[in-house]
Amino acid sequence: MSVQTTEPKAGPPDPKPGIGAWGKLSRAIYRQAPEVFDNLRQLPYNLYKSIYRTTAFPKTERERSEAFFNSFLLHIQPAKIEKHALRFNYTFGLGLISFYLFLLLTVSGILLMFFYVPSVEQAYNRMLDLRSSVSYGMILRGMHFWSANCMIGAVFFHMCRVFYTGAYKPPREFNWVIGVLLFVLTLVLGFTGYLLPWDQLAFWAITVGANIAGKADYVSDHLAMIPGVPNMHMGVMMKNALLGGDTVGQEALIRFYVLHVALLPSILFFLIVIHFWRIRKDGGISSPKESPE
Amino acid sequence: MAKRVREEEIFPRNPNKTYGLMELVKGSSPRVDRGPEDMVSAWPHLLIREALLFAATFLVILALSVWCVPPLEKQADATKPPNPAKAPWYFLGLQELVSYDAFWGGLGIPGLVIVGLMAIPYLDRHHSGIGRWFARSRTTAVTLFTVLFVIPTIVLIILGTYFRGPNWGFYPPWGMPVEPQ
Ligand code: HEM
Repeated sequence: MSVQTTEPKAGPPDPKPGIGAWGKLSRAIYRQAPEVFDNLRQLPYNLYKSIYRTTAFPKTERERSEAFFNSFLLHIQPAKIEKHALRFNYTFGLGLISFYLFLLLTVSGILLMFFYVPSVEQAYNRMLDLRSSVSYGMILRGMHFWSANCMIGAVFFHMCRVFYTGAYKPPREFNWVIGVLLFVLTLVLGFTGYLLPWDQLAFWAITVGANIAGKADYVSDHLAMIPGVPNMHMGVMMKNALLGGDTVGQEALIRFYVLHVALLPSILFFLIVIHFWRIRKDGGISSPKESPE
Repeated sequence: MAKRVREEEIFPRNPNKTYGLMELVKGSSPRVDRGPEDMVSAWPHLLIREALLFAATFLVILALSVWCVPPLEKQADATKPPNPAKAPWYFLGLQELVSYDAFWGGLGIPGLVIVGLMAIPYLDRHHSGIGRWFARSRTTAVTLFTVLFVIPTIVLIILGTYFRGPNWGFYPPWGMPVEPQ
């Protein structure tokens, strides 16, 4: 695409003399608002300028900086960056890969929502539909499935990278804490999504998982040994809160669905935004210049 | 009480400059002593890498979804429990622990691990080895993290995924009994 990035000169003033109604009209416009013709000529340039606040292909250092801080999406990042931070074998891009997978999950997940119904009667048939009657249905499900599984791996290895490079040390302590929350949330998102296909794998995996939550009874049973403390049955409470009943059924499905498509992704996105903001406030990503070997 | 300074005293107004005061921070900034000599502009150096990384990520995921179709078993049936019923792969380490002790395996240890992970940067604050892989001054920290967290996590997941069969018995992957359908 070639958009003129310099303002075009005003052209010759007189419009071609036309005949009939069109000629009359254009002469009238020319008499009262001659600049309209220039405006039309400069339309692509002005349109571009009104949307983007900088040139499309910055050349000078100043333009390159402006490209970053005049753009909503780019201003999150620094205009200048240390060479070390760009080295692939320092970060292996794992944080960014986690973020990209989150984006792919959002897009493929929203598309899947057009076909999925969180009901015990329909959910499984909807999965079969994806295979048989939805165009590219299996690729859509595959994108969501593989992004989810890879994201768990990417986040885990990103955490390892951060540890092994000592990148959690002051002033980045709190970003590590946010990271741990991101890690847990990613796992829980995966878990809530696992139930949605409503096949044998899904049903029994969630049954196993919910039973683990039920083991919290151990705590309340022990607390209840203290005289005067009632047994709160914490495990049963947690399991019921998660499943909306004793077993995995319709109530569990709708709970997992709402958590999976609305609540948890919103929290995850919010925490990612804070994670990125903290990277900037902590002076960019870590660098060997910050401390002795 | 520190003397209050006005913004103009720190950043005198200069009509030729387009920047303004963003924030004031206590102490030395992480950027102190990191001069501009090793800096490059993010355009195009950062941007091109980010674009390439996205393309690579996207292509790998697309290839996986074309060639490896995600599993879909028979419809859920509360009367037909598979043996063994397995949690998602990333929780199989937990399920493995649960098979030894229900509470400690499923909630106690995982809870302590999460709290422990969050505590790391508040316990290990020694200002050395930042920005280097496996810095020599950090061998203790590196060893502890690897032995207590990374290796157990991976080993338990592999164990739960490939070595556990009916009744959570131990079987090698090549000798895994096939469940009669
Ligand atoms: C959804 C999950 C996550 C996303 C999208 C994410 C994203 C990122 C990105 C893009 C960076 C920039 C540097 C890089 O790419 O390595 C980064 C840095 C960082 N991340 Fe994450 N992250 C996630 C999870 C985590 C986890 C689980 C931890 C640790 C427990 C963590 C701790 C950190 C820290 C401390 C930094 C600063 C590293 C440095 O200064 O070198 N993050 N993260």
